[in-house]
Amino acid sequence: MLSIKNLTANVDGKEILKGIDLEVKAGEVHAIMGPNGSGKSTLAHILSGRDGYQVTGGEVRFRGQDLLSLEIEERAQQGVFLAMQYPVELPGVNNMTFLRESMNAIRRARGEDEIDTVSFMKRVREKAKAVKLDEKLLKRSVNAGFSGGEKKRNEILQLAMLEPYLAILDETDSGLDIDALRTVADGVNMMRSPERSMIVVTHYQRLLDYIEPDHVHVLAGGRIIRSGGKELALELEARGYGWLLEEAAA
Amino acid sequence: MNPQIDQQLEATARYIDGLPRETGDWLLGQRQAAAQRFSDIGYPQSRQEAWKYTGIDGLLSHDFETVETDREFPRHAVIRQYLKEPVAGRLVFVDGEYQADLSEVQAPGLHLGSLRAAMASGDHQALSRVGILSGVGEHGFAALNLATLHDGAVIRVEEGVQIESPLELLHVTTRASEGCALRSRHLVILGADSSASLIERYISLDDSVSCFNNLVCEVSLARGARLNHQRVQLEGCQTYHLSEVHLGLEADAHYQGVQASLGGAWSRTLIHNQFNASGANCELDGLYMAGDGQLTDIHLDVDHAVPHCDSRENFKGILSGAGKAVFDGLIQVREQAQKSNAHLHNANLMLSRRAEIDTKPQLVILADDVQCSHGTTVGQLDSQALFYLRSRGLDPVRARHLMCLGFAGEIIDRFSSESLRETINEVIRRKIEATV
Repeated sequence: MLSIKNLTANVDGKEILKGIDLEVKAGEVHAIMGPNGSGKSTLAHILSGRDGYQVTGGEVRFRGQDLLSLEIEERAQQGVFLAMQYPVELPGVNNMTFLRESMNAIRRARGEDEIDTVSFMKRVREKAKAVKLDEKLLKRSVNAGFSGGEKKRNEILQLAMLEPYLAILDETDSGLDIDALRTVADGVNMMRSPERSMIVVTHYQRLLDYIEPDHVHVLAGGRIIRSGGKELALELEARGYGWLLEEAAA
Repeated sequence: MNPQIDQQLEATARYIDGLPRETGDWLLGQRQAAAQRFSDIGYPQSRQEAWKYTGIDGLLSHDFETVETDREFPRHAVIRQYLKEPVAGRLVFVDGEYQADLSEVQAPGLHLGSLRAAMASGDHQALSRVGILSGVGEHGFAALNLATLHDGAVIRVEEGVQIESPLELLHVTTRASEGCALRSRHLVILGADSSASLIERYISLDDSVSCFNNLVCEVSLARGARLNHQRVQLEGCQTYHLSEVHLGLEADAHYQGVQASLGGAWSRTLIHNQFNASGANCELDGLYMAGDGQLTDIHLDVDHAVPHCDSRENFKGILSGAGKAVFDGLIQVREQAQKSNAHLHNANLMLSRRAEIDTKPQLVILADDVQCSHGTTVGQLDSQALFYLRSRGLDPVRARHLMCLGFAGEIIDRFSSESLRETINEVIRRKIEATV
């Protein structure tokens, strides 16, 4: 699904990623953890094509393609989805229109027919219910005036509607209370399938109580310093990051 | 003397002399007074504040002529421009002349006709309204409109009559207008407690035709009358367009106006509102767009001279390429106009570094018990929002289009006709495509 080899990247001339290697197979859920400033969000942003990052080396292949050569929208059309840490407000852009435009852009790029109104409405209602997003918010401007939890639920609604091959969740748990966290996690779990991979970027272990990863990686100082199974997350919860950083430095 | 002004004065005198004087009332006294006014003041000067950012050299260099000819035009092409929705009545003008056979008129209590017919028959009910709200002309172009006005719409709604479907006023220019100055004057007269909605559009059948559309619209609303007035200027890229809308509102009258200035090489609109009695309400919304080779100018002059009136003005501009726009919105609240509510807002979205906006919202308050506000913003598309939309699969053109529609949506939504809203959306899309 996704293969990252020796990826290095700068932000404003400062090296943030210092050689990332990561293999994500279809159906797998990978958690990327690490202290603040370790490069977790940078990695998520580079995969989605956000500007402001200079890739200085390495390669990223996604379903056989050179991901880094694709435009932002081409990545989305090929099946990459980034659930953002800070979803943007789009005043005046109707949430439902946005979802439909987005679905149709992706369908057109794949040579599929646009979705008809009836099927779209049925699906959006069903998915909104699943992520416990108030239907009223579908009729409002995208994220405008939404609470933190509503914004994150709206991201998961988009994930559910767009059905990407690779979903990247960037600190989706930040700012959520425990009920919202559970709802968001349920939404993500609903989307797990043998054809879909996920990368869950998080600072805290608590999200992983609800979204159980197949693999856990610790990113620190721009490198993956440890990879393991889900038990690694529990060990981090108990011991913090300090011991790993010391081991890596040694 | 300026030879250009002399030349125009001669043409004006010729026009007035050529009018059929035998029958009817051709407003000769007013025309001559207006010609004199033009002779006194000439064309606007760039040192005048109201014309500082809106040059007229290009307009004058064309020497647009006031001429009368028999014109042939493609009728079906005009008919195709009709609003898709049903209308209560339709007035069609081609190259500044009323086309009776393309117009559909009369419902009980509704009178539609042409100003030329009113002059020919000496219809004083209509003619007595000419110039009441506009005066003889604040500037030279307005004076010339009165001096050589050729035709226009006369729309009258009788007291207490409610017209449900919109009235359509369609003004089309064709190839035959090349080099011409078209001078129309529309009169809209609503009787007490009547209501109507009017959709007024200016379009060119030939995008390359170069002409000067110089028009004045006088709208008087009697006590308790309500008018919803939607105006769209979507003329060809070589057209010069100068519109003045003069509003006179009696007690408890309500004017709801929305306009879109989208086409033309050079386009200027003045909306002047005069509250004549308390309890009246004037709402003005507008969208203007200017891209490469376009200048769009909006002037508002809302005069609160009596107490207890409300006005609200909201104008939004989208500027692309090397487009230029001018917004000058003035609200005056006079000393005796206590308990006035007046709110003016202007927002501008710049899609290009080369675009220019000169905006000046002005609030002059002499009364001490009023609620007033004014503000203006100039901004660009948010790059974070653009990324967000693209990361959901939308290409940059569609992403920008959605954001512009989001910006302009509250104005566009005030147009009641769906086909008109679609046309406006389409114009926005084309401008954005030209930008990317």
